[in-house]
Amino acid sequence: MARILRDYPAEVKLFAVLAAIFAGLSLAAPSFLTLTNLTALVNNSSVNVIWAVGLLVVLIAGGIDISFAVAASVVQYLCVYAFAAVGGGNWAIGFAFAIAFGTALGFVNAALIHYFRIITIVVTIATFNAFFGLLMFITSGRFIYDLPSWWTRRIILWERQAADGSWAEIILPVGVMVLCMIATWALIRHTTTGRQLYAFGDNPEGARRIGISPGAMTFIAFGWCGAMAGIAGLMQVNIVREVVPNALIGRELDVLAAVVLGGARLGGGRGSVTGCVLGVLLVAITQNGLNLLGVSPYAFKMVIGAIILIAISTSGVTLVRARRAGGAP
Amino acid sequence: MRKMMTALVAGAVAVGLAFGAAAQDKPRMGVVVKIGGIPWFNAMEQGIKSQGEALGVDAFMIGPTSADPALQVRAIEDLIAQGVDVIGVVPNDEKALEPVLEKAMAAGIKVVAHEGPGIVNKDWDFEMASAQSFGETHAELLAQKMGGKGEYAVYVGSLTVPLHNAWADAAIAYLSAKYPEMKVVGDRYGVAESVDDSRKTALDVMAAHPELKGFLAFGSQGPIGAGRAIEEQRKIGSVFVIGPFSPGQGRDLVKSGAISGGFMWNPMEAGKVFVTMGKMLADGTPITEGTDIPGLGKVSPDTATKNIITNNLVPINADTVDGLADMGL
Repeated sequence: MARILRDYPAEVKLFAVLAAIFAGLSLAAPSFLTLTNLTALVNNSSVNVIWAVGLLVVLIAGGIDISFAVAASVVQYLCVYAFAAVGGGNWAIGFAFAIAFGTALGFVNAALIHYFRIITIVVTIATFNAFFGLLMFITSGRFIYDLPSWWTRRIILWERQAADGSWAEIILPVGVMVLCMIATWALIRHTTTGRQLYAFGDNPEGARRIGISPGAMTFIAFGWCGAMAGIAGLMQVNIVREVVPNALIGRELDVLAAVVLGGARLGGGRGSVTGCVLGVLLVAITQNGLNLLGVSPYAFKMVIGAIILIAISTSGVTLVRARRAGGAP
Repeated sequence: MRKMMTALVAGAVAVGLAFGAAAQDKPRMGVVVKIGGIPWFNAMEQGIKSQGEALGVDAFMIGPTSADPALQVRAIEDLIAQGVDVIGVVPNDEKALEPVLEKAMAAGIKVVAHEGPGIVNKDWDFEMASAQSFGETHAELLAQKMGGKGEYAVYVGSLTVPLHNAWADAAIAYLSAKYPEMKVVGDRYGVAESVDDSRKTALDVMAAHPELKGFLAFGSQGPIGAGRAIEEQRKIGSVFVIGPFSPGQGRDLVKSGAISGGFMWNPMEAGKVFVTMGKMLADGTPITEGTDIPGLGKVSPDTATKNIITNNLVPINADTVDGLADMGL
């Protein structure tokens, strides 16, 4: 227990805050702790979690990416054209294309960062604008509803009718989310590459001297983030059943906040999949709780901002103390 | 000083026109809309283009990349600099545009507004429906579907869109006066510009209020998102979704009954009316009581507020949706 507290201070703190909110809502809103509501919560968080685990890898490697949500929109449009070109496609082709396009967009970021030695936030602010601008220019911002049926058909992995007649169900994006979580966890925890990513994020110069290639790290981190963005884009279409150019822009900040809340350090070298999921859930549960409690929507943003501040300042306190105890500057 | 400036501006415009007019002496008209690339304004652009060709007006539309008043101000500044004869505008924020529209009128440019009855600096504003009748017509349809009793929730595009809130005000006032057994739950939700948010909120609201029987969604994405949620929860026929939406986008949902219906005015007609009125203003044709304007019918303009309010609502339901969708709406 003490070890967990020491190694994952942010995750533990966040879990405590989340547990408190969960308990509070269960008492205050009778409809919160129902199967229907909880499954809806998980379904609705799936796309954000997929993004979050991708972004996590970039943060661990000491970078930052704000272009991934827009990249997901670009992937959606590319997929629409690519599926039409191959005569419709299916899920296997869908994943292959989404991952390929997403990775390619991630590599654009990585190439700019690595070969031109530009700071990651500057690069991704630029590509964020460039991707979105190109998307609007080329598509004239048209919505697309006429999509292949395999893509938009709801695939229910599990369902049950609750006592009040409402349906609780788990949909495909949740299954994909779990696979993405496991894959990311395996990458960062159980491979040499994962260890190298942490080392590179914590101390790039030190990592370089022991023989870790900075180029490889940058490409792996941004490629992974891009691939996850592509998968998230594919899943988003499965949920909303349409492709809209500006549907995802703006989501990047929510995800970034959630991942940082979950203990990933903006300076690199720290972060976990569990933390990511907790961070996304904190924001999602707060929003859900506000709706269930019948709080005026005029107050939503304010309450969510306050919750993020509370959660992040509690984890900040721990960090400061740990640093002092360690005697680091 | 002011006169001199005006003279200078007029001179500059004259020079500009002399150069421009060498190629063509058709009147030029630029219409600045809320946002480019969405189906609604794509249809309006078609109307503007086709009527421009029919009447010999060089008419074009400008759609900013986001619904930002500052971008509209800049677009109008550009049109003044180009020396167009008529400026049309569908405002995001009426107040923010007053100074730049004042400048346009001082430069001798005619101004036609749409969905902006509160604007002072204009020659005319035309409305295809009054806020009151639009809200009340939707409210009456909801009441009929719900059998005049039960709980319903209200969406608006965003809590700061004046027109959506005016519709919602009119609808709620109408229902509480005429159908006392109908009860609105919660405050209004500002989610209807996003399918994703509308869908999530609908799931939350239904979880919080199991007895809920209706959604009154003002804002083009609201009925779509709420409809999807109803479909997922297998509540078609027990929860009714009413609101204006894009027929192409909602076609399947209307046919499955997930959206009960709504009303709209035809944005293509509105685009045509822009050009027709622009041409009338450029030619100096007076608009008075009983003037027949194609697309609006016989009008009774309010000379004090310079508003022309008409009632040209088209129902969207299972019978009409295909025809409307085929127009590209």
